[in-house]
Amino acid sequence: MSGIQTKKLTRVYTLGKVQVTALDGVDFSVEEGEFIAVTGASGSGKSTLLNLLGGLDTPTAGVIEVMGRRISTMDKEELARYRRFTVGMIFQAFNLVTARTALENVELPLIFAGVSKKERRVRAAGLLEKVGLSGRRSHRPFELSGGEQQRVAIARALVNGPRVLLADEPTGNLDSRTAGEVVRLLAGLQRDQGLTVVMVSHEQALAREYAGRIISLMDGRVQSDGVTP
Amino acid sequence: MRISDLADLSAANLWKRKLRTFLTVSGVAVGIGALVSMISFGKGMQENVTKNFRELALFNSVTVFPGSSRLEGHDPDVPSSRPGTRALPSDPVLDDEAVRSIAAIKGVEWVYPDINFPALVGFNGKEELRLVQVIPAKALASGMFKLLCGRAFATDEENSALVSPSFLRTLGFKEPREALGRSLKISSLALDIGRFDLSALSELRGLPISREDHEFTVAGVTQDSGFGGPNPFQNDIIIPSGAAAEIKRLPFNSVWDLFRMSERKGGGYSALNVRLVSPAHIGAVKDKARGMGFATFALADQFSEIQRGFIYLDMVLAAVGMIAIFVASLGIVNTMVMSILERFREIGVMKAVGAGDRDIKTIFFFESFSIGLIGGALGCGLGWGVSGLINQVVNFFLAKQGVPYMKYFAFPLWIFMGAVGFSVMVSLVAGIYPARRAAKVDPVIALRHD
Repeated sequence: MSGIQTKKLTRVYTLGKVQVTALDGVDFSVEEGEFIAVTGASGSGKSTLLNLLGGLDTPTAGVIEVMGRRISTMDKEELARYRRFTVGMIFQAFNLVTARTALENVELPLIFAGVSKKERRVRAAGLLEKVGLSGRRSHRPFELSGGEQQRVAIARALVNGPRVLLADEPTGNLDSRTAGEVVRLLAGLQRDQGLTVVMVSHEQALAREYAGRIISLMDGRVQSDGVTP
Repeated sequence: MRISDLADLSAANLWKRKLRTFLTVSGVAVGIGALVSMISFGKGMQENVTKNFRELALFNSVTVFPGSSRLEGHDPDVPSSRPGTRALPSDPVLDDEAVRSIAAIKGVEWVYPDINFPALVGFNGKEELRLVQVIPAKALASGMFKLLCGRAFATDEENSALVSPSFLRTLGFKEPREALGRSLKISSLALDIGRFDLSALSELRGLPISREDHEFTVAGVTQDSGFGGPNPFQNDIIIPSGAAAEIKRLPFNSVWDLFRMSERKGGGYSALNVRLVSPAHIGAVKDKARGMGFATFALADQFSEIQRGFIYLDMVLAAVGMIAIFVASLGIVNTMVMSILERFREIGVMKAVGAGDRDIKTIFFFESFSIGLIGGALGCGLGWGVSGLINQVVNFFLAKQGVPYMKYFAFPLWIFMGAVGFSVMVSLVAGIYPARRAAKVDPVIALRHD
């Protein structure tokens, strides 16, 4: 079954009087439980693609279907529910809330899902343990290393039990050893839980090592789409 | 989202910027405090006047005037230039016969004529020109007249006088009690036909008037009315009616009375004070008195107009308080907009993990609500405290002038509840723009924001 499918996906930004085409008729599909990497030079449209798949942005034209649901026509509240329950996202800059502890950051999506405080604590603590940070739950982001922060972000992305994990340059701010650990963690989640993982990365070596397929973008178009050796 | 989570998020965000939260909440508290003080002052005044009306039995008092053509509702204390408000020569005279007739009307408890005359009052080695008021002993005993110290008249015939605290102060008394039992001389002016000298009168060298001295003993000191109500003691010197009858005096108090004398036939009183058994008789007594050819005036009829006046006063006072609230609401808008700028990226993160526009809006609204609720509650305390302090200070200074202790501010529960409700409402209105702006934040841009 197709986990993610796009048809003629187009996103055009208007910057002043200039129109910039970030994505230009992108067609691709990802099977459920697949781990794919999206690569490409800076400005090729990788992050735009991920934001569209994550429901943070809406396409100018084209269709996006995730887990059988057409998200390209959803209104704002439907997109919020989609982000809450269907997808989890992690970012290069981790995007943790600095005033909240690791545990509270992991709890954050559950607040918007209306989960009780007691249940939130249990679920968040369980996920922190899963990513190897049970001893760091009371630490604030600035008290954690980059790798630890990204693992907190992964725990947060998974706390509502999504079926798709979208990672936007998750290793961009990490050293190579930590980057390897983080991608291994993502690959493990895909393997053990059957998560569909889409990872945007410019690190070809990591992509080739862990992703089953690599889609390469150039100037907003799919340049290549192939299975890794 | 659960309300408990909204409260937690709101508390955490406000606590994160303690100083700014404190300043914003203080602004709201000052505004609400000002509003509470203003409204409670208006309410206090209203309660004092109503209490005064009740204590002075003004709800069951009627004043009767000569002249049936006097317009209803006209204030008899203010000479009017309107045509038709003066007694006409054909109107019946308000004399002792009229007093007896009105006293016989069903529902009338007692009647006494309104008598004032100018006199030189000699007391404590000084002489002062004062109007002397005549009040019968029975009326004084009715409870509507209050004394600071001493006693009222036991009989109408005793040569006792009541004096006002302000009169005593003028004469250098520091303690009103010191005046009790001391002798007071009332010198009136009387027409003396024996001295009538037409040639002297034509050259304006003198009038046929002689001076009469009468000795009185100070029996009591009257109590000044507090701020906010009429005082039944119109003058500084009060004497009983029997003793007053012995004093020869000119039948006028001012040049105004001289003009009016030509319109009245055979003298008579300027007014009668009528006390009723209960307010229920006001209509019937007024009708009967009018039927006799007299005009009437009842302050009770004016009470609804006085109450309307208090509504206007409340509106003016509330408007002043509103200005403070308006300034405070600008502070809330400023705080919330600053909060959006500081939490721009956080808003993006919240949206990325599943918060909808409505959730973001609710979070910001709840913060505005919290500022309004806390500021409103503190403002009530502030308004209550400051009003209490002002009340003490005002009473401290007025006590020196013999004014009894009064509560100038009234705090019914609805003032506090209304103030907190209003504070919350203003805060929510102030939060509309920031909440909408926060909800519109584009998560893609916010997540890239440094």
